[in-house]
Amino acid sequence: MNEMVAVLGLATAILALGLWFLLPRGAAAGRAIGALLAAVALGILASRIPGVGHLPAEIVFYILAGVTLLSALATIAFRKPVYSAIWFGLSLLGTGGLMLFGGAQFLGVATVVVYAGAILVTFLFVLMLAQPEGQAPYDQLSWAPRLAALTGALLVGTLTLVVVSVFENPDVALRPEAPFNAAELDENILSDEHMAHLGAELFSKHLLAVEVAGTLLLAALVGTVAIVAQIRQPEHGGSSHG
Amino acid sequence: MDEQALLQNYLIVGALLFGIGLVGFFSRRNMIVMFLCAEMSLQGVSLSLVGWSRYHNDWGGQMLVIFILTVAACEAAIALAVVLTLFHRSGKLDIAVWQQLREDNQAAFVDRDLVELERRQQVRWPTLTPAGIEPEPDLDQDTHRTHI
Repeated sequence: MNEMVAVLGLATAILALGLWFLLPRGAAAGRAIGALLAAVALGILASRIPGVGHLPAEIVFYILAGVTLLSALATIAFRKPVYSAIWFGLSLLGTGGLMLFGGAQFLGVATVVVYAGAILVTFLFVLMLAQPEGQAPYDQLSWAPRLAALTGALLVGTLTLVVVSVFENPDVALRPEAPFNAAELDENILSDEHMAHLGAELFSKHLLAVEVAGTLLLAALVGTVAIVAQIRQPEHGGSSHG
Repeated sequence: MDEQALLQNYLIVGALLFGIGLVGFFSRRNMIVMFLCAEMSLQGVSLSLVGWSRYHNDWGGQMLVIFILTVAACEAAIALAVVLTLFHRSGKLDIAVWQQLREDNQAAFVDRDLVELERRQQVRWPTLTPAGIEPEPDLDQDTHRTHI
């Protein structure tokens, strides 16, 4: 246990240092060092968690997780916001892949369609409208990079410690009911008729929540139009422009 | 596959994604990059939920992720509208422009780093000494527009 704390502490410290090097800090260079340090910290973390017990699956998982996390790091490291957005898109593809891997086929595809297809593209449009020159001076600076990197690394370190120690403790029963076997998993979450099961669950048990979510979408739509409609009003009312 | 190890892997990847998003949200100054980092944190939570859903062989986690996606879409629409409004007012995507929205007891933030950076990056091109007669300004040429 103590050894685990020491290793995780080391990984946290390396991650904090790597994040600090990665964040934009004026003219100071060192992104390559930061990427290397962060990759080392991720490697240490990966070496402490048990594998999933099936070699091809493990390789696929590590590739997907690596793509997701490294492009997430690139998102916060790149100074040009357009590059950040594109790296975020790659991170989303990795997340979608991880969801597919975890048996959430619909969610994997929906994440790619909704986030990468709609949200990200819309924000790229805004970036092109607002900042066509690419990089502004304020993009080369960050707020309190040392404190931010330390906070993030400490949070990750603590969460990892909790997760690892809970799973290593034999007294803790995470699943009170009897463990299911692979056949049950194949019939429910990993069934061939994934969409049919998902739809049946969504539109029976969660029907009210679906209605509420629809109302929320409508309210957001109306609110957005109301906010954007205010932009032009001062010019109509103002007398300074003939 | 070892389901318990799989859940552990998903939880740790989710925690890392959440942490990276948090760091980005805390430290970046561009409003759009801040928004993208907030979305990244949501992705981290979604991954954990998918892991739990698989572990318990239950659809509850995936249902929650569907609603996270819905709320994220609403949030994106509103954030886009707000960012556009703020950009129209200030002409910048910098969040520091809006520091007058801070609490009353907070000291004003003086942007020394930005001034220093702009001073350092200013390029001084060589100039020639002005000589000869200054030409009459051509008003037609100055006000001509190829298109409106």
